[in-house]
Amino acid sequence: METRHLIKRAKYKTTAKGSGIPGVLEMTKNKIVFKPNDPTSVTMINVDFRSIKGHKNTKEGSSNPPLINLILDQGGSYIFEFENFSDLQVCREFVVNSLAKSGEGLIATSDRPVVASHDEQLSTAEMELRMKLLQENSELQKLHKQFVLGNILTESEFWATRKKLLDGDSSQKSKQQIGFKSSMILDTLPLHDARTNKLTFNLTQETKYQIFALKPAVQQAFLNLVPNKMTEKDFWTKYCRAELLHFKRNAMAAAAEAAEDEDLFIFLKDDDILASEARRKIRRVDPTLDIEADQGDDYMHLPDHGIFRDGSKEITESQHELYRRTFLQDLNRQGEVVLEGRTIDVELDNPTKVAEALAQSRQESDATAKEERLYRTSRMTEMEDLQAPHDHPFAPLFIKDPRDYFDSQQANALKTYDDTRAGTEQLSCSLNTEEAYGFLRSSISEIKAMGLSAHMVRPEVALTVINGLTQNISSTKYQLGKNVHESVLDRLPNTTKEELLHVSGPLDIHSRIIEALLVFISNHYVVSLCQGEQTEGSHVKNLSAARGNKGIGSLRAPPAGFPPCSSYASGSRCCFPTLRVGFTEENGKGWREA
Amino acid sequence: MKFQIEDVTVYFPYDHIYPEQYAYMLELKRALDAKGHCLLEMPTGTGKTIALLSLITSYVLSKPHNPVKLIYCTRTVHEMEKTLAELKLLHNYQTTHLGDRSKILAVGLSSRKNLCVNPRVLAAENRDSVDAGCRRLTASWVRAAAAANPNLPTCEFFEEYERAGSSAVLPPGVYTLQDLRAYGKKKGWCPYFLARHMVQFANVVVYSYQYLLDPKVAGIISKEMQRESVVVFDEAHNIDNVCIEALSVSVRRQTLEGARRNLNKMRQEIEKFKATDAGRLRAEYNRLVEGLAQRGNLALTDTWLSNPALPDDILKEAVPGNIRRAEHFVHVLRRLVQYLEGRLETENVEKEGPVAFVSSLNTHAGIDQKTLKFCYDRLHSLMLTLEITDTDEFLHIQTICDFATLVGTYTRGFSIIIEPFDERMPHIPDPVLQLSCHDASLAIKPVFDRFQSVVITSGTLSPIDLYPRLLNFHPVVSRSFKMSLTRDCICPMVLTRGSDQLPVSTKFDMRSDKGVVRNYGRLLVEMASIVPDGIVCFFVSYSYMDGIVNSWNENGLLKDIMQHKLVFIETQDVVETTLALDNYRKACDCGRGAIFFSVARGKVAEGIDFDRHYGRLVIMFGVPFQYTLSKILLARLEYLRDTFQIKEGDFLTFDALRQAAQCVGRVIRSKADYGMMIFADKRYSRHDKRSKLPGWILSHLRDSHLNLSTDMALHIAREFLRKMAQPYDKAGGSSSKTLLSQEDVEKMSDGNFNEMLY
Repeated sequence: METRHLIKRAKYKTTAKGSGIPGVLEMTKNKIVFKPNDPTSVTMINVDFRSIKGHKNTKEGSSNPPLINLILDQGGSYIFEFENFSDLQVCREFVVNSLAKSGEGLIATSDRPVVASHDEQLSTAEMELRMKLLQENSELQKLHKQFVLGNILTESEFWATRKKLLDGDSSQKSKQQIGFKSSMILDTLPLHDARTNKLTFNLTQETKYQIFALKPAVQQAFLNLVPNKMTEKDFWTKYCRAELLHFKRNAMAAAAEAAEDEDLFIFLKDDDILASEARRKIRRVDPTLDIEADQGDDYMHLPDHGIFRDGSKEITESQHELYRRTFLQDLNRQGEVVLEGRTIDVELDNPTKVAEALAQSRQESDATAKEERLYRTSRMTEMEDLQAPHDHPFAPLFIKDPRDYFDSQQANALKTYDDTRAGTEQLSCSLNTEEAYGFLRSSISEIKAMGLSAHMVRPEVALTVINGLTQNISSTKYQLGKNVHESVLDRLPNTTKEELLHVSGPLDIHSRIIEALLVFISNHYVVSLCQGEQTEGSHVKNLSAARGNKGIGSLRAPPAGFPPCSSYASGSRCCFPTLRVGFTEENGKGWREA
Repeated sequence: MKFQIEDVTVYFPYDHIYPEQYAYMLELKRALDAKGHCLLEMPTGTGKTIALLSLITSYVLSKPHNPVKLIYCTRTVHEMEKTLAELKLLHNYQTTHLGDRSKILAVGLSSRKNLCVNPRVLAAENRDSVDAGCRRLTASWVRAAAAANPNLPTCEFFEEYERAGSSAVLPPGVYTLQDLRAYGKKKGWCPYFLARHMVQFANVVVYSYQYLLDPKVAGIISKEMQRESVVVFDEAHNIDNVCIEALSVSVRRQTLEGARRNLNKMRQEIEKFKATDAGRLRAEYNRLVEGLAQRGNLALTDTWLSNPALPDDILKEAVPGNIRRAEHFVHVLRRLVQYLEGRLETENVEKEGPVAFVSSLNTHAGIDQKTLKFCYDRLHSLMLTLEITDTDEFLHIQTICDFATLVGTYTRGFSIIIEPFDERMPHIPDPVLQLSCHDASLAIKPVFDRFQSVVITSGTLSPIDLYPRLLNFHPVVSRSFKMSLTRDCICPMVLTRGSDQLPVSTKFDMRSDKGVVRNYGRLLVEMASIVPDGIVCFFVSYSYMDGIVNSWNENGLLKDIMQHKLVFIETQDVVETTLALDNYRKACDCGRGAIFFSVARGKVAEGIDFDRHYGRLVIMFGVPFQYTLSKILLARLEYLRDTFQIKEGDFLTFDALRQAAQCVGRVIRSKADYGMMIFADKRYSRHDKRSKLPGWILSHLRDSHLNLSTDMALHIAREFLRKMAQPYDKAGGSSSKTLLSQEDVEKMSDGNFNEMLY
């Protein structure tokens, strides 16, 4: 259940560091109100959720106090400090919900009529999916707002480029269970307060489940004893007593107590179920790490042979072994349980049901366990880099269909384009574009002179060029988005396209693709490098000769005088395609003439 | 690939080869040509095993008139399995390229526990009872009795094997233990005896060190190996310890009590035989008079452990008269046990040499040296005469006789140390009398003498000139190889301070310091947050690990660690540890990431690889020195100083650093792999300590990484991981090739490989 209303004590702060004004923070469905404790204070906040753009908060476990920062649309922000992290959590969820809702409201009011007018035949399911996607992805929402509402794209065009989102997402999100935390064992252990020397046991349904999973003997005992022999409460009390004895690490006392109370004995003795499971598992273990097999492999294992009390050997107290379950063993057990994951799918309310389900799942897992020892050994022994790679169970990083590659690069291209705009020189690449171009040119001429050998291009050069090319091809597509059925490649001359598909097909991304591209460039001298409608491309030679121009390098940074884009703040840059096309054409003409 | 090393055509199962592998093969080949011993150190992760196997098998192939047998010794069973799997790969390659000509027989040999397929015997809990269970079904007299009375149980696998007689042979091929079991099951033959039998015909035998080094075992298993064999000790950096252990015996109260029980039982048996079958005892007496301690050819299943003394030192004389009669011998043993009991009653630590001990034994119990010397053989003979099958009941008296024989045979290189309690736990009385060997060269000497080439190889044999002194031999080749790296895929660091700039160390006065414990914990938390997949931590001892994990739990650091990764821990229980390792691998495989806490000198450090994503970082917490107050260690140090002129401090540092290097060396398996190594102790920054690390680690240890604090190490780790995540050229840059194809190898002349050596 989500709350409609929330009141928490908090401090209002103007900066994260300041001391802040104590007061009460109240949140309702669409408003945030802060009233200071001191009624004379002038700080009184009353804002609408709609004017809030986003929020940030400090993470639990960090050294910072629990802060939430609400960022306003108009700039500026409100910072609130809570008393503890759980308050912060509650509040954060509330804010997230409210923000989502206000966003939804926004779309709901403005979106529907537009969609309706363009695409009448859309099913409601499809609509819902789109709505959901927009809600989940604020970036997308912004784009949508800009294009569709700004009448740059129609609704169907907008979604056509995002087909993947539409069909992929929803189906993949199958029901996933949250596994155990890696530190779950700590939840099942009592809390010790060193000051008062008090132990606190905190048993929730979840911890009971975890205890059952960790200790099959306890679970078995629960099934046997409850409710016939004792009540559930008695059972857990006994359990806690046993844990207490463990905590004291007094094996003698534990032994004495266990001797008196046979039920307590169940909790204190070694877990038989675990022991037998261990015996079974040890047979299936990977032989390359089977230390157990060495035990006494010296043909005839005699006791007292070898050096008994050496400096390097350890000593143990062997008395009362039975009652000395160590913390280390518990840790190993928890690792095992965490890896098995949640094996049952029942409500945790009823411990008996949980225990039964666990018992059953344990048997099932026995049955389904498989042997893969041999396979693993053979894999272990091979030296991976001395031979050609195996057929891996996963797909190697590999461009199968160049179309996919360029399409997927679209988003990156946009992003880098923005970065480029903001300042080309900031890129981590140590080369600037001119140098890269220089290298590219010399490489091409070398290839032309000597043919393609196992020639290495400097990685930085390769990276710069490949980025430039990918971005351009991809962004071209993006900006041609009006006609979605036509991919960039289709716009290239047929032979070129074939070549590109052919060469980049079997290559992996690094090192060799740049060679492929070089071949491609030098063979055809045609590059669809410029933006907009220009598909004839530019002769590389001409490019290279281009009068002091930045050449291919100029692809990354728009040359001076390139029409600025008013909407680049939003991340898309296609507001004035016609203007830009005009410019590019002119520029291109200059190259061709030169 | 196939290439030429001088006059040998080497068949190598991969398409490429590392230059150091080539150099390694070259040196090995020269050692084989010279028919001498050699000592080769090559970094882990450069494919020692496969280089060695392919050179030796190819060497044999190219010289068919002179078949050389390969005896490959590993320290652990899982290493044996790994070696056999590699050999299988190689063998498949060679048979596809050469056909049947290259077919060999390779078997792994292990104990009954690992080879038995009889479900009834296997049901027994531990190994000793598998051995005993086997004997109960297969001993010659049991079988004789069963022949008369078909209701007596026998082992059907063994019977089937016996029936097959000489036709029970393994077809050529490479057999791992698993394969042997499968073959045995299929044929209905006992895999253990089949393997034991096939050892003498096999071209390659893979087994544990003890089968060659421990005279008790070697006397049975390895006595028929021909001189023209190549013996390889892989991962041999601890070989001196194995040698010493093979000749050491300790006697505790439990041993003596057990021995008394055994003696009583034997006396009863003797009485029984006297009444029913006196002829038997008389026959034994007569045999002993004739000077045959051993009863000629024993049935295969009746073999016992051999004499614990080295073959050259065993007297070929008749058993002395005073112990020829069974009851007299039992009486002598009784006196011996009584004397030992008396010695254990001491309140102070006592240390004496074997000569003094024997003379005192002679005065107090009237047992002379020669009698002592024959104890073991005499006991053996008696046990066979009495037809005692449940040998695991008689282990204690056997231990006593081992002790007697050793103490009667050797006058130097040993000492007898009696301690009333362990110094680390003075409140628990646990007296022990230890006969400890100090001279590693004793046990290995027969191996050097007997076989034409002995190869000692490991990733850490530094300083390489120390091993010939410790083992007292003269290698014809002694080399240490570099690792040619395509990229700096290992990143060793020395961390001396925590983030608070306070020094960290496991020095005795600092190790329990709260600040040190916390700094160690913080280091791990920070590293766990940035290192992907697996992290391995090594501690100096179990007790230290136990303590530090508990204090991390108390101050909440453990929770922080577990927020990032699952935690698994090595315990002294091998089953538990094995399962923990298995789960650790699972956690790394599934992407959850895990940390393994382990102990230097422990079972895990000795032989488990943490290659690839199973170990991206190793942290060695502290310097794993031995417990320096141990009396045995002190005695050994004294012996080393007097005999080999090795200084105590030097030996201790050498020993600690080889363990540390061994621990961290487990992260790299090949050059495609990468890993970081953190030596977290301020003492590593000292030159005298650090310089004992193997060269391949030192050459990557930059000066700027010698004195780091936690945050600096963290920064370096981040940079390193980022660098390693980049794609790279596997064949190495243009300057130096790190991966050679067949053409490269053909082009290169031998001279080029000298750069691989230090």
